Amino acid sequence: MATLEIKDLYASVETKEGRKQILKGVNLTVNSGETHAIMGPNGSGKSTLAYTLAGHPKYIVDSGQALLDGEDILQMTPDERAKAGLFLAMQYPVEVPGVSMSNFLRTAKTEVDGQAPAIRSWAKELSQSMKNLRMDPKFASRSVNEGFSGGEKKRAEVLQLELLKPKFAILDETDSGLDVDALRIVSEGVNRAKENTGLGILMVTHYTRILKYIKPDIVHVFSDGHFVKTGGPELADELEESGYDKYLPEGSNSESALA
Amino acid sequence: MAMQEQEISIPVADPKDPYVLPAAMPSSADKEPRSFELHDFEMPTRQQEDWRYTPIDRMAEFFDPFTPSGRTGLEVSSIDGSPVDTDHVKVSTVPLGKAPSGTVSKPSDRAAAVEWTSGKESTVLTLSGKLDKPVLVNIQGAGLDLDSFHLVITAEEGAVGDVVVEHHGQAKLAEGVEISTGANSTISTTFIQEWDGDSKHVGNHRIHVGRGATLRHSVVTLGGDVVRIRMDQDFGGEQGYLNMLGIYFADPGEHIEHRTMVVHNHPECKSRVVYKGALDGKSAHSTWVGNALIEPTAPGTDSYELNRNLVLTPGAIADSEPNLEIENGDIVGAGHASSVGRFDDEELFYLQSRGITAADAKKLVVRGFFGELVEQIGIPEISGHLMEVIDRRLSRGESAQMRAVLEEK
Repeated sequence: MATLEIKDLYASVETKEGRKQILKGVNLTVNSGETHAIMGPNGSGKSTLAYTLAGHPKYIVDSGQALLDGEDILQMTPDERAKAGLFLAMQYPVEVPGVSMSNFLRTAKTEVDGQAPAIRSWAKELSQSMKNLRMDPKFASRSVNEGFSGGEKKRAEVLQLELLKPKFAILDETDSGLDVDALRIVSEGVNRAKENTGLGILMVTHYTRILKYIKPDIVHVFSDGHFVKTGGPELADELEESGYDKYLPEGSNSESALA
Repeated sequence: MAMQEQEISIPVADPKDPYVLPAAMPSSADKEPRSFELHDFEMPTRQQEDWRYTPIDRMAEFFDPFTPSGRTGLEVSSIDGSPVDTDHVKVSTVPLGKAPSGTVSKPSDRAAAVEWTSGKESTVLTLSGKLDKPVLVNIQGAGLDLDSFHLVITAEEGAVGDVVVEHHGQAKLAEGVEISTGANSTISTTFIQEWDGDSKHVGNHRIHVGRGATLRHSVVTLGGDVVRIRMDQDFGGEQGYLNMLGIYFADPGEHIEHRTMVVHNHPECKSRVVYKGALDGKSAHSTWVGNALIEPTAPGTDSYELNRNLVLTPGAIADSEPNLEIENGDIVGAGHASSVGRFDDEELFYLQSRGITAADAKKLVVRGFFGELVEQIGIPEISGHLMEVIDRRLSRGESAQMRAVLEEK
């Protein structure tokens, strides 16, 4: 049983107009086995929260903590956070030319586990996971994310999630750009990972569509850099009906559309 | 499509004054004469185009004739260590100046003329027929006493084979290489520099590609205080194909320089020059100068050159200079590209977010950067060997376990 506890987190980003604070007092506790949906309009800071937790250098933590079993991951380098058990499935996975998926996955697995996986069982696990995600075996020899379609990139993210077995996974709009079949396959992968390892999930999305496949225990509304409402799965249905407008700060309007 | 033969007379220049007949100048970007005579070459200075990027004060010992120590080690075998197949590979020694040494072009700078003047003999490798295994020429540095080494690789008409020349250890070496391939031969020559950090190496490759022949010429320079390799090439007839590939890795304080001079002097020949380098740390310095000259005698030429540099940490300097000189309007193509780029922060973050340390992430990316190029070689024994050499360089200081993982075994 692990716990991720975000305490009063403030974070900023450097823009052309100067430093801009995006996260304004985020508080959240996620336990192993829980699935939290983080919903909110465009520009509310959901992705910033995801990247700040993972340690992207663009985001500067102003104050606050993110304790993974008591250890503040905000003090760690991104690779140390991964080793501590955090995983970020990115909205736009990065292409790494010339580095094969298989080499990348094995290197990552070795670093996260602190030892190289046994060759035979690793090959078997990789091939089974790829099969589950309906990925062509030749993906293993292709360069990381290079020339992958949007759907293939998302499957590759979930493949990593399944293989690296983190304690907590942040899914940053993993549903965006997926057709119905791909959405189902990717969701099944996430559910499988949760079933196998009991991981806790923070699922960032602004569509309710993915919630049909990955059932949230808790739904949060994120607006203007912090959580403004928390409820059960029924909150997602309410958002579906009435949108985010009533959660927006005064004087702004939502450009988001609910699916 | 075979071109109709046509007679064109090219004026011959006086090597001492190449400007007398501008059309016969090697290139406007290459003002050096071609000569065996030391006194035809001025003492290099940074003001001269050919030496403007070179730290000449760090290699002054190569500019005046010297007595070679003669201690450079030489071993010739098949790449798997077995003896060479003497039916197809002849290894011999000739006094320097006796054919076939001195038959492929002439020195093009003072350092090359010094090597020619100072050396006593030349190792000759003659290839014929179809070789089963690549030949490995292993050159072991003689320590910090100045030495010279001259190698001639001659491939007979129709020969098919691969030669790998490796340099190891500590050295101050002036090296001359002559490569001549016969008509319709298919040859690859690969030169690997894995020198110790305090080594100095000045090389001059003179290359002649036969009619209808294919030559893949690869240079991999992964270490040395100063390494400067100058390559001069021409064709011996129509429809020759030259494919030059280069890989270099410069560490802090090192100067790694490659200069390629490709001359299209016959119709319908093709050339590709692709050099990629990575630079790591303060004052790591690389230079690539790629000259391509398309002469009036070379209609139907197809040439392209490219250089990419990956700067891993601030403080490194990569000079990249493609020069293209086209004296013929009837060509298929003549292109060039050059770039110096920083290590991509997004790639680094992506790999780090998967638990890979920044240092290992850089190694993976550099491996991929070079791997893309090595893959194109298409000769598994050569590309596999090169990746081993690159892996050895990148995994310096890694534990055996991490080495095995990084090296994709």
